[in-house]
Amino acid sequence: MTATNRYARPWIAAYGTEIAADLPAPRFDNIAALIKDTSTRFAGRTAFTCVVPNGMNGSLTFEQVDAMSDAFAAFLRHDCGLKPGARVAVQLPNSLAYPVAAFGVFKAGCVLVNTNPLYTPAEMIHQFNDSGAEVLVIVDLFADKLAEVIPQTGIRTVVLAGVPEFFPLIPKAVVRGVQKVWNRTLPPVPELDVPVLRITEALAKGRSDAIDPHQWWEWLKPEDLALLQYTGGTTGVAKGAMLTHGNILANLAQVQAMGRSHMSSDDCVLTALPLYHIFAFTANLMTFFELGARNILVPSPRPVQNIQRAIENYPITWITGVNTLFNGLMNEEWFAAFPPRKLRAAIAGGTALHQAVARRWDEVTGTRIAEGYGLTESSPLVSFNPLTGRLRPDSIGIPVPGTEIALVDDDDAPVPQGQPGELIVRGPQVMQGYWQRPDDTAQTLKNGWLYTGDVAVMDEDGFLKIVDRKKDLVIVSGFNVYPNEVEDALARMDAVLEAAVVGIPDEASGEAVRAYVVKNPDHPGEMTRDAVIAHCKTLLTGYKVPKSVIIRDELPKSPIGKILRKDLKAEVRAEFAAKG
Amino acid sequence: MLTELETTLLGIMMMVIMLGMGASMTPRDFLIAFRKPKGILVGLLSQFAVMPFLGFLLAVALGLPAPLIVGLLLIACMPGGTTSNIFAYFSKGVLALSIMMTTVSTMVAVVMVPVLLSFYSSMAGVTGDYYIPAANVAQVLVVLLVPTALGMVLRKVNANIGATIELIGSFMGVVVIVFLIASWVPRNYQLLLDTGPGVYFVTIGIGLIGMLFGYWVARGLAQDTNRARTISLETGIQNGPLAVLVITLSFAGDMQQEVLLIPVLYSLFIVITSTFITLWYRRSATREALARDAAKVQAR
Repeated sequence: MTATNRYARPWIAAYGTEIAADLPAPRFDNIAALIKDTSTRFAGRTAFTCVVPNGMNGSLTFEQVDAMSDAFAAFLRHDCGLKPGARVAVQLPNSLAYPVAAFGVFKAGCVLVNTNPLYTPAEMIHQFNDSGAEVLVIVDLFADKLAEVIPQTGIRTVVLAGVPEFFPLIPKAVVRGVQKVWNRTLPPVPELDVPVLRITEALAKGRSDAIDPHQWWEWLKPEDLALLQYTGGTTGVAKGAMLTHGNILANLAQVQAMGRSHMSSDDCVLTALPLYHIFAFTANLMTFFELGARNILVPSPRPVQNIQRAIENYPITWITGVNTLFNGLMNEEWFAAFPPRKLRAAIAGGTALHQAVARRWDEVTGTRIAEGYGLTESSPLVSFNPLTGRLRPDSIGIPVPGTEIALVDDDDAPVPQGQPGELIVRGPQVMQGYWQRPDDTAQTLKNGWLYTGDVAVMDEDGFLKIVDRKKDLVIVSGFNVYPNEVEDALARMDAVLEAAVVGIPDEASGEAVRAYVVKNPDHPGEMTRDAVIAHCKTLLTGYKVPKSVIIRDELPKSPIGKILRKDLKAEVRAEFAAKG
Repeated sequence: MLTELETTLLGIMMMVIMLGMGASMTPRDFLIAFRKPKGILVGLLSQFAVMPFLGFLLAVALGLPAPLIVGLLLIACMPGGTTSNIFAYFSKGVLALSIMMTTVSTMVAVVMVPVLLSFYSSMAGVTGDYYIPAANVAQVLVVLLVPTALGMVLRKVNANIGATIELIGSFMGVVVIVFLIASWVPRNYQLLLDTGPGVYFVTIGIGLIGMLFGYWVARGLAQDTNRARTISLETGIQNGPLAVLVITLSFAGDMQQEVLLIPVLYSLFIVITSTFITLWYRRSATREALARDAAKVQAR
C-alpha cells in the first residue's frame, strides 16, 4: 500500500445526493455571532424547555436566551472583572440556566470549562486549578461541596443556579420545595470568602450595566479558544481538550450536513444526555439551536422513567442517546408500545451501539437510529451513518464532510483495505491540543492528525467499523479478541440486558475472556453461566467465548451511561493480585 | 350529621382529588394498561368480587344492625381510593398498575357498585329506609368522572397546571380524611364509646382481610410478588370518602350519623393499617431484591 491511500476517499459515493461532499465555508467567525444571528431570526420561538420528572417545566425563547446571556456576559466582564480568554467553569445539569451561562461565557470572549455536576470535591479542585477557572456557575444542589473546594482553587466568584431556574413561579416553588423538604437535596450554602450570588442576581447586575457585549466578541476568530473540555478521566488524570470557536462551528455544520434531510426549524430534540458532555453540547445544544429548533432539556435521565413526561408532553422529532439510554427506553412499556409519533431519527454515540438495540429501535419506532462516532478531541463528530440508504447496524458510518481519516498500523503505515488499523483523523473539528500539556498533545496530535486509539476497519464503500479500543484488546493464545464483538454476541441473548467484556490472566492462554452480564428483568426464568456460554458458542469461535461469566445487577457506568470497562479491569486486577 | 356546607366541601375535595388523578394520566395510559390487561382484570376481580362478598360475610356473621350493614356493604363495594397510589409508591410496588386500577375500578364502579349494592343489600335483608337508590351512586360516580376527564385535558393544555393539580390532588387525599375525622368524631364520641368491639373489628378487619385476599388471589392468578402486593393494597384500600359522600347525599339526620359510622372509622383506620402494611411490603420488596442478588452470585 502506498502512502497516497491515506488520502483516498472511497466514502464520497455514499454521500449520495443528500449530503454535500465539501463543507460550506463557515458563516460565522465565532459562536457568539451565531447565537446573535440565530436569536434575531427566531426571536419569539421557544428555544429551550426544561422538564422535570413530574412534568413541571419552564421555557425560554430565542430572544430571552439572547438577552439573558448578554446580561450574563456583562456580569462576567464588568462585575467580575474577567479578562478576554478567562476561564469560567459551568457545573450544571441540563436546565435553563445552562444555555444562559454557556452563551454568556462565549459572548464575554471567555472560555467555557464544562464540569460534571456529580464530580467529587477532589475532581473539582483538579479541574478548576488545571484550567485556572476564575468564576464558577454551579447547581445549588451541590453547593455543600463549595466549602472544601473554593479555598483550594482560584475561583473568585460563585454563581448558583437551580434545576427549576427560570420556571414560572408556582412550578419553581413546588420543585424547590420538593428538593428542600421532601428529598432534602438542597443543602445550605456554606460561608465562603468569595462572593456567592444566585444567577438571577448576577443577571440583574449585568442588565443594570447596560453594556452591549458585542465589543467583547466581535473580534473573536475561529482559531480562538471556546471550550476546555475535560477528558481522559478513563486513563488517569483528566486533561482539557482545547476546542476553538472554529472547531465547534465546523462540527455543527458537519452534523447538519449529515442530518439535513431530516432536520428543520420545527424540530423538537430530546436532550437527555448531559450538556456538559461534548456529544450533547454540539449535537443538541449548538446544532439544533442554530436550526431554530427546540431543545427539551431533561435534568436527570436516570431512571429512564424520568423522561416519560418529556416524551409524552412534547412532539419529539429527534433523540440523541447512548446505547444504554436507547436500551432503557425500549424496556419501558410506555415507550415501546407508543413511541413518539413524530420521531424522525435518532443519533447514537458515546459508545458502541449494539446491533440488537439498533434493530429493535428500527422495529419499535420505525425510524433510523444512526450511529456516529466521535471523541472529545474532535468536537466530537468524526463519522456518521447517512440517514438514507442501506442500514448498516454494525458500522459507525462514513467520515463527515471535510474530514480525512486513515487507518494505520503501529509503524504509522496505512493498512490494506479491510484490515484493522488505528483510526487517525484530520479536519476542522480537531482540537488544538491539551491545555498546558505539550507531552500529551504530542502523543495524540502528530502532523495535524489526531490519533484516536481506536482500532477500525473500512469496507470498500468507505464505511467504518470500530473493532475496539487499542488498549482493551484481549489476547487469547496469541489471537486478538475484541471485547465489542463478544459484547454484541451477548447482547443478542434474550436473557441479557447488558454486558461488558474484559480480559483476565489465564495460565494456559495468557489471557482469557471474562463477561460481566446483567439479567434482563423482562426475561422469565433464570440466567445461568452455562446458558450464557452455550449461547456464545453458537455465535463465536472457541477462543472468543467467555471462559468466566459473572452475573451482576448493574455495570459501572460513566455519567452519560457508557459502560466503564476500566473499572471492571481494576476489579480484575485487584482480584488476581489478591490471589497472588 | 354533616352540615350542608361540609357536604359541599366534601364534594369539592373529592372533585379536586379526581382532577388530580386525571392530570396524572394520558389517554395512552389506558391503551398501555389494556395491552396487558391481566393485572387490571385480576385487580378488578378482587376489587368487585372478593371485597363485596367479604363485606357481606362479615355483616352477616356479626349480625350487624341495618344502618351498619349499609355502611359496611357500601365500603366493601367502593372502587379503589386514590391514597392507595401513594401507598403503592412507598411500598416499592408497581405504581402504574395502582393508578390504572384506581381509575378503571372507578369507571367500572358506575355500573358495578349499584348492582352489587342492591344485590348484597337484599341478600342481607336491608330494605326500606336504609336502601340506597342505585341512581344516587351512579350519579355521584359519573359526576366524579367529569373532573377526571377535565384533569386529563388540563394536563394536555398546560403541563405545569397539570403537574400542580396532580400534586394538590394527592395532598387532598390526606386532607379529606383529616376533614372527615375532625368533622364527625367530636359530634359522635358518645356513639364511638357505645360501639362494641365487633364494629371495630369489621372496620379494621375488612381492610386487612381484603389485602390478604387480594394478595393471594393475585398470586393464585400468576402475578409476581411485586404486582400481588400492589393489587393487595389496591384491594384493601377502598374509597372511604366517596362512600361518605354517597351517604350524605342519600340520608339525613341521625340515620346519616349511624350509617356513617363504619365508613368514617374505616377511612381513619385504613390509613393506619396501610402504613404498617406498606412498611412490611417495603421490607419484603427489599429482601426479595437482596435474595435475587445472592442467587446471582451463586450462579457464577
